[in-house]
Amino acid sequence: MSDRPGEFRRLAWTMGGLLAALAPHLLHLQGWVTAFVLAIAAWRLVAERRGWRLPGAFLRAVVATGVTAGVFFSYATITGLDGGTALLALMSALKLLETRAPRDHVVLIFIGWFLCLASFLYAQDIATVAWVLPTVWLLAAALLPAARTGVGGPPLAPFRTTGAMLLKAAPIALVLFLFFPRIAGSFWGAPSTERALTGLTEEMSPGDISDLTLNDVVAFRVRFDGPLPAPALRYWRGPVLTEFDGYTWSRGSPYLFRPPVLHLGAPFDYTVTLEPTGQSMLFALDMVESWSPGVAIQAWDYHLRTRQPVNSVLQYQARSHTRYVAGTELSAAVRNRNLQLPQGRNPRTLELADRMRREAPDDRAYLVAVLDMFRQQEFFYTLTPPGLDRDSIDDFLLNTRQGFCGHYASAFAAMMRAAGIPARVVGGYQGGEWNPVGGYLIVRQSHAHAWTEVWLPDSGWTRIDPTAAIAPERIERGIQPELPAADLLGGGLMQDSALWFRARMMWDNVAANWNDWVVRFDRLRQKQLLSNLGFADPDWEATAIALGVGLAIALATLFAWLAFEYRPRQPDPAAACYRRFTSRLARRGMEPDVGEAPRDYAKRVRYLRPDLGTSALAITELYLRLRYLPAPVIGDLRLLRTLVARFNP
Amino acid sequence: MRFSGIPARWAREWIRRRQGPDRGPVTLRRGRIYILPTGLGTAFGVMLFAMLLGSLNYANNLGLALTFLLAALGLVAMQACHRNLEALIAREAGSEPPFAGQDAVFRIALANPGRTPRRDLEAGNAAQPVSVGAGGETTVALCVPTERRGCLVLDRVEIATRFPYGLFRAWAVLHPGLRCIVYPRPAREAPPPPAVPGAPGSGAVRRGQDDFAGLKDYHPGDPPRHIAWKAYARAGELLVKEFSGDAQAMPIFDLAEAPGPDLETRLAVLTRWIVDAHSRGETFGLRLPGVDLPPRPGEMQRRRCLAALAEFQAPEPVHV
Repeated sequence: MSDRPGEFRRLAWTMGGLLAALAPHLLHLQGWVTAFVLAIAAWRLVAERRGWRLPGAFLRAVVATGVTAGVFFSYATITGLDGGTALLALMSALKLLETRAPRDHVVLIFIGWFLCLASFLYAQDIATVAWVLPTVWLLAAALLPAARTGVGGPPLAPFRTTGAMLLKAAPIALVLFLFFPRIAGSFWGAPSTERALTGLTEEMSPGDISDLTLNDVVAFRVRFDGPLPAPALRYWRGPVLTEFDGYTWSRGSPYLFRPPVLHLGAPFDYTVTLEPTGQSMLFALDMVESWSPGVAIQAWDYHLRTRQPVNSVLQYQARSHTRYVAGTELSAAVRNRNLQLPQGRNPRTLELADRMRREAPDDRAYLVAVLDMFRQQEFFYTLTPPGLDRDSIDDFLLNTRQGFCGHYASAFAAMMRAAGIPARVVGGYQGGEWNPVGGYLIVRQSHAHAWTEVWLPDSGWTRIDPTAAIAPERIERGIQPELPAADLLGGGLMQDSALWFRARMMWDNVAANWNDWVVRFDRLRQKQLLSNLGFADPDWEATAIALGVGLAIALATLFAWLAFEYRPRQPDPAAACYRRFTSRLARRGMEPDVGEAPRDYAKRVRYLRPDLGTSALAITELYLRLRYLPAPVIGDLRLLRTLVARFNP
Repeated sequence: MRFSGIPARWAREWIRRRQGPDRGPVTLRRGRIYILPTGLGTAFGVMLFAMLLGSLNYANNLGLALTFLLAALGLVAMQACHRNLEALIAREAGSEPPFAGQDAVFRIALANPGRTPRRDLEAGNAAQPVSVGAGGETTVALCVPTERRGCLVLDRVEIATRFPYGLFRAWAVLHPGLRCIVYPRPAREAPPPPAVPGAPGSGAVRRGQDDFAGLKDYHPGDPPRHIAWKAYARAGELLVKEFSGDAQAMPIFDLAEAPGPDLETRLAVLTRWIVDAHSRGETFGLRLPGVDLPPRPGEMQRRRCLAALAEFQAPEPVHV
């Protein structure tokens, strides 16, 4: 190690880039992986400072085997996205232990770039890009010292050099991005692991949705082609939950038959941009009639599902009617399943339902009576209800009487079933926030909702939202009746400010456009762009032409830029003047000889052409004065120019 | 990627044929700059391809954008690498004749007429890459090991750069045909030179220097220790002291008088005598068959004599 300070600097650059590339992964890497990587990085830096010996090949092999086994045990695989990323992170740490030669640094930098790519597989939002872009820059800068080039100069010189290069690279990259043909489908299958992301799930227990209700994260954005449905009709249908075990509602086994739907009234056309959910559920305005082909299939309960979990932003178009009649025929099997209640659970609810049903003249009257019970008795709508015991419906209806949509839907469906009316719980979102800046609806996780569907003989599956009975403002205006104090502290005052609202909406619009034009820039958008550029019917040929022309322009720009940067230095004006003088003489056959001093040359000119002698000598003397006097005499240059201009051999 | 073996020789011959020999300063124009990816550059390309496949597979636009940005960075680096050499002006800047066994040093000056500094230029086998500032000039020394006396010809010099990132290596080939004389290796131990007639023994030379005879005008090559500094201080004119002894004690080293089993050994002995005599500030001459250098003092005489020894019987020039 002859070059200790240089080696330390190289190591610091490489490690800085690598850790920056790892940072986005710390969110999902398991704790021991993060700890291991950070510990090794720290140890390596200290070892470099103190000149400690690095571990030998045997020890490294043992550790490598150990961590691979560790990944296998804690992730159950070493090939999936999570396991692969963890393995990449650990191997980069192990590589740090043997980093000496330039090649080792280069391998680490390449791993860093792969980690950047992997972080895009997890998230493609603006924040991720804002972090990854400087990381890529840092890694490229680390390549300079690693390749032993561009060293020397101020410590941050590699960063500046690389910045200038990236600036020049940006137009080329942009052309490639816009016109590189996008293909549909994949070579070896996209990752299909379900990931734990915030959002609705296909189960509902008391308290589930309240976690979401405090979550301001965007679930999806909807752009309508035409009028919007009224706020009270904005039900975004998710999965139907039919199985009830007394505490949790779940989806149960699928039905084979999807009862037909009669769509009524004017349709609503819209485009949904769904943020990644890690699940197969899509959300559409209730009731969906048609949707982008190939994106999803409709399940028995009318909700849309993809074949693969949605792990990146997904866009689909759909047409819905808010008025419809669904499933007027009900088979005995389906009726039984929608009447199912767990044996021996919630006995007091059954008792209550029995009594109320007997008091009511028919099913409809019973239904209204139950809703009236929520409305008129002491039931409260709150996002922070007390916990419920195992017989959750009993506890809620007769004891706590505090809850939100999930509790009311669950209790209502159970009451209906107890009285022999087929009923089920529907999960989804209700409402949405209008963004006046971008002209679209934002549906956040806080809009997560649960309601019920009741089967009535003449109208089929009919939506009944018990929450509307207890807290109509939740449905009508999307207002949260009660939020925990902590949330109000920061937001309370700010939310009132129109300026703050506008700023938030503008930012959301940026995020929406980012999704539209960057994350979901697919073949369709590419065609749209091409037709904007004047290609009548964009096909692959048009794409190729656009790519070629775009690249030619970008490369020409690069050449011009570099030619400007590397242009020759402006010659000294006096020297330029003198060169004009000699070239005029050269045309008359009096070239200066190689190594001939200006004065000797002038004397030779005088000898050859006595008539030019005086002016040649004067020009030469002026030139020499301008070139070699420490402070030029004012006016000399102008005089030289005049003399040379008049000099006409 | 650097060629080796037979392709390398073919490439060299092809370049030599298309460029021809160089005389005088050479401007590295576009036509004579070659560029290829290095091993690192190839690995970078493979990595980009993997990233492209991955991004297309996952239909991940940001992954694609990252891939394209890095690919564009590679393109820019290629251009920058090429530009880093272009328009440089290379010229010879002298050489230092060595004794056989020492390294010959060829100097090449690289001038940058542009406004952007050129960085990490490697010339031939020079140990450290050099940089040339905007409008500046930097001299690189190429060391070539020598084995025997004669003429060393620098046929081929590569000026190369891997700046930036080392993804590409651009190089230009010069065929300067620079010549450098390699003096014979001085014999490690040599008998003293034969006594000069009229001054028996080597001591004669010493005594001769003691007899001051007068002053004469200074000529370059006169030993500095003979300069009459006092006279210079008085008159401001460089004068050299002449010694009466010099006239008698001027040895002429003759190949015929040098002992040794073969020619090279005897040349080595002569070399030793000349080096020693010069370091003592003596005046000496050299006589070889066909060469007669009358005695003179000074550095020029030493060079003349050593060059005559180096070139004696015209040994085959060594091309590097």
